[in-house]
Amino acid sequence: MTTTKSSQHRAEKRTRIAPATFNRRDLVKGAVGAGAMTFALGAQAPMIVRGQSKTNVTFWTTYTDTGLKNLTDIVNAFNKQSTDTNVKIVQIPPAEVTDSSKLITAVRGGTGPDVYLLDRFIVNERAANGLLEDLTDLMKKNGMNPDLTEDYIEFAAREATFDGKPYALPFDTDVRALYYNKAMIKEAGIDPATWDPSKGVLLWDDIKATAAKLNKKDTNGNFTQAGLVPWFDQGLPYTFGFSWGGTFFDKSKCEVTPDNDKIVASGDWIYNYAKDQGVDAFQAFIQAAMKPGAPPQQNPFIQKRMAMWITGDWSIQNLATYAPDIDYGITYLPVPTKGMNSTTWAGGWSVVIPQGAKEPEGAFKFMKYFAGPEGQKMYTKASSHVPTLKSVQADKSLYSGKHVFFIEKLLPTTKNRPPLPVGAKFWDELQTAWQKIYLNKESAKQAYGEAKQNTQTLIQQFCPIT
Amino acid sequence: MNPSTTVQTTVDESLSAAARAQGRTGRFHLPSRGERRNLVLGLLFISPWLVGFLAFLVYPIYYTFRLSFTRYSGFGQPTWIGLANYQRMFDDQVYHTALWNTFYYVALAVPIGVIVAMVLALAMNAPVPEVPVYRTILFMPSVLPLFAISFIFLTLLDPNQGIVNEFLREFGIHPPNWFGDTRYAKIAIVAIAQFGAGQVALIFLAGLKGIPQSLYEAAMIDGAGIASRFRNVTLPLMTPVILYDLILGVSQGLQVFTESYIITQGGPANSTNFYVYYLYANAFRYGGQMGYAAAMAVVLFLITFAIAILIFQTSNRWVHYDVT
Repeated sequence: MTTTKSSQHRAEKRTRIAPATFNRRDLVKGAVGAGAMTFALGAQAPMIVRGQSKTNVTFWTTYTDTGLKNLTDIVNAFNKQSTDTNVKIVQIPPAEVTDSSKLITAVRGGTGPDVYLLDRFIVNERAANGLLEDLTDLMKKNGMNPDLTEDYIEFAAREATFDGKPYALPFDTDVRALYYNKAMIKEAGIDPATWDPSKGVLLWDDIKATAAKLNKKDTNGNFTQAGLVPWFDQGLPYTFGFSWGGTFFDKSKCEVTPDNDKIVASGDWIYNYAKDQGVDAFQAFIQAAMKPGAPPQQNPFIQKRMAMWITGDWSIQNLATYAPDIDYGITYLPVPTKGMNSTTWAGGWSVVIPQGAKEPEGAFKFMKYFAGPEGQKMYTKASSHVPTLKSVQADKSLYSGKHVFFIEKLLPTTKNRPPLPVGAKFWDELQTAWQKIYLNKESAKQAYGEAKQNTQTLIQQFCPIT
Repeated sequence: MNPSTTVQTTVDESLSAAARAQGRTGRFHLPSRGERRNLVLGLLFISPWLVGFLAFLVYPIYYTFRLSFTRYSGFGQPTWIGLANYQRMFDDQVYHTALWNTFYYVALAVPIGVIVAMVLALAMNAPVPEVPVYRTILFMPSVLPLFAISFIFLTLLDPNQGIVNEFLREFGIHPPNWFGDTRYAKIAIVAIAQFGAGQVALIFLAGLKGIPQSLYEAAMIDGAGIASRFRNVTLPLMTPVILYDLILGVSQGLQVFTESYIITQGGPANSTNFYVYYLYANAFRYGGQMGYAAAMAVVLFLITFAIAILIFQTSNRWVHYDVT
C-alpha cells in the first residue's frame, strides 16, 4: 500500500512538474523533433515496403488514348505475374517523335525513368549521344543473346543496335498501305472490287484522278470532303521516296541522298498534286488532325470526309474503335509507273534503359516481358501492329481479317528508314523539305537539295557509319 | 553667390578635409575596419540573392560560353573543337532562316507591342469612375501563361471553325489559314504576343500618372486639342518608359519560343522556326549538338547586347528625361 501510495505520489509529482517546465522552447524542440521523426519515418516508409515486396520500375511513354491503354494492359499483366518487380507506367506529354527533351533533361537531373518507349529509328542517335544503357550485360545475365538479329527481324534488330551493341529491345513494327472508303470511291464511279489487292497494284496518277472527283468545297472555298490529301498522316517523304524506288542513304559515301532522281521525282508528283488540287484548302482541311497528339476523332477519314488515307496497320484498330460503320478496303501503296513493284516501309518502337536508371535489373525484367513473346502477342492482338520477334510473327493465330494482308503481302518486301546517328535531324530536314514541296514554296529538287546539305554537315561527325 | 551653392561647397570641403585627415588620398583607399565589417554584413544580408545569382546566372553563362567551344551531347565528356560551332553558323541555312524569322518577328511584334500597350494604358488612365474594372479586364489576358494563350489561339484562328475567320468571312474576306500558311504564320504569332501587352501597359500607366497635370492644363490654355496634347505632352514624356520597353521587348522578342513550340512546331516549312526554337532543337532533339546550341546562345546574347546598345545610342535623339 505504501509502495502504491509513494508511486502515486511520484506520478503526481511528475505530472505537476511537467507543465511547469514545458515552456515555448520545449514546444519548438518537440515540434522539430516530431517533424524530423515524421520525415525520417516517411522517408523510410517506401524503403520498408520496397524491401518487403517488389522493386519499383518507372516506365515512360508518350502514347495517348488507345495506344496508352494497350501498353497499360501489358504493364498490368506483367505486374500480375511478377513476384519481384512492379512497373508504374507514366504518360508524358506527346511531342514530335524526334523530341526527347523531357527524357534528356530528366536523366541529366537524375530523375529519369527506368524504361522508356522510344521510336526505334532514334535509338542510334540517342545511343551515340550516350543517353542509353548498353544492354549487352543485362541480356547475357537474363539468358538472351546480345545479337538481336537472332530473335528479332533483321531491320528492327539493326535499328536497335549501335556500334555492334544492343541498346534497345524492339517492340512492334508497322507497315503502310492505302486505305479507301468503299462507299466514297463508288461516288467517283469506281467499283470498289477493282481496287481489291488481288486485282493488282494501282497507279498514283489514277488515284489522283479519282481523288479529284471526290473533292467537294463549300461556298467559302473550304473542303467539306476530299479524295486524298497525300501528305496527310503517313504520306511522308519516305513513303513516296520508297514508292518511286529511291534510297535515302549511301553507306559507302556516308551520304544522305534525298536528292536522288527517284526521290525528287516523287516530290515533283506531290508538288503537282498540291498545285492542281489546291494546297491552301487542303491544309485547312487537315489542320486539326495534323497536330501532335490529335485525337483520332479529328481524322477526316474517320469523319467520313476523306475517301483515301495513307496509313499503317494500326489504323485497323482505330477504325474499329472510332468508325466501326465504315466499309473500307486496304490495298498496296500505288506505284508511279505500270509494272513496278509496290514498296512500303516499316517503323516501330522499342524499349530502352536510359542512363542513370535506378533499377536497371528490374527494368530489364520488364523489358524482356514487354518486348518478349508475352508483350508482343498482347500488343499485336490489341493494336493490329506487327510483332518484331520472329517466333511471334510466325504465329498465324494472332492475325485476323484485314491484318493478314499486312503480314502476308506487305511485310516481306517492306523497307525501313536508314538507322543513322543523325536520324532526328534528317527526319526534320525531310519534313521541312516535304512541307516546302507540298506548299509549293520550292521545287522538289531545291528542297531536297537543301535537306541533304543541312543533314550532311552534321553526319560528317559520325562517318564512317558501320 | 547663391546661398545653397555656398552650403554645398562647405560640405564638399569638410568631406575632403576628413578624407585627408584619415590619410587617404585619391578615389581608392583601404576600407577601415568598420567599413569592412559593414561590407561583410551587407554581403551576408544579400547572400541568398548572391548565391542565387552566382549559381543560376553567372555559372550557367560561364558554362554555356565554355560549352560553345565543344561538341557535346549532354552526356559524357565534351570534346574541344575550338571555333567550329561558330564557323558552322555561317554555313547553316536553317540557322539563317531562324535568324531571319526572329528578326522579322521582333521588327513587327515590338513596335506593335508599344502601340497596343500605349492604347491600353491610355484606356486604363481614362478619368471615369469605373476605371478599376476596365483595368482589370484589360490586364486579365496578361495573367494567362503563354502556353494557355497558344492553345486559345489555335482555336480562335482555326481555318474552318475559328471565330476570327468566321468574322472575316462576314465581311466577304477570304480568310487565311493562319498557322498553316508560310505567309501568315509569323503574323499570327505576332498577334498572340499582344495578349501579353497588359504588363507593359501597367508600366506605361505608371508613366502616364507621372506626367504633371499642370502641363496638360497649360497646353489646354494654349488651345491644344487631344491629339496635340498627346503628341506634344504625353508622348515626349513617355519616351523614357518607351525606351525601357523597347529594350525589354527586343530582348524578349529575340527569345520567342513557346508559340512555335506549341502551335506550329517551327513549321510550315520552317516559317516559324525561330532562333531559340532552333537552338532548342539542336540541344534536345539532334544528337550531340549541345555545344552548337551553346554557341547559338552566346551569339544571341551578343546580338541582343548589340541591339540594346544601338537603341541606347539613338535614345538621346528621341528620349526626353526632363519636363523642362
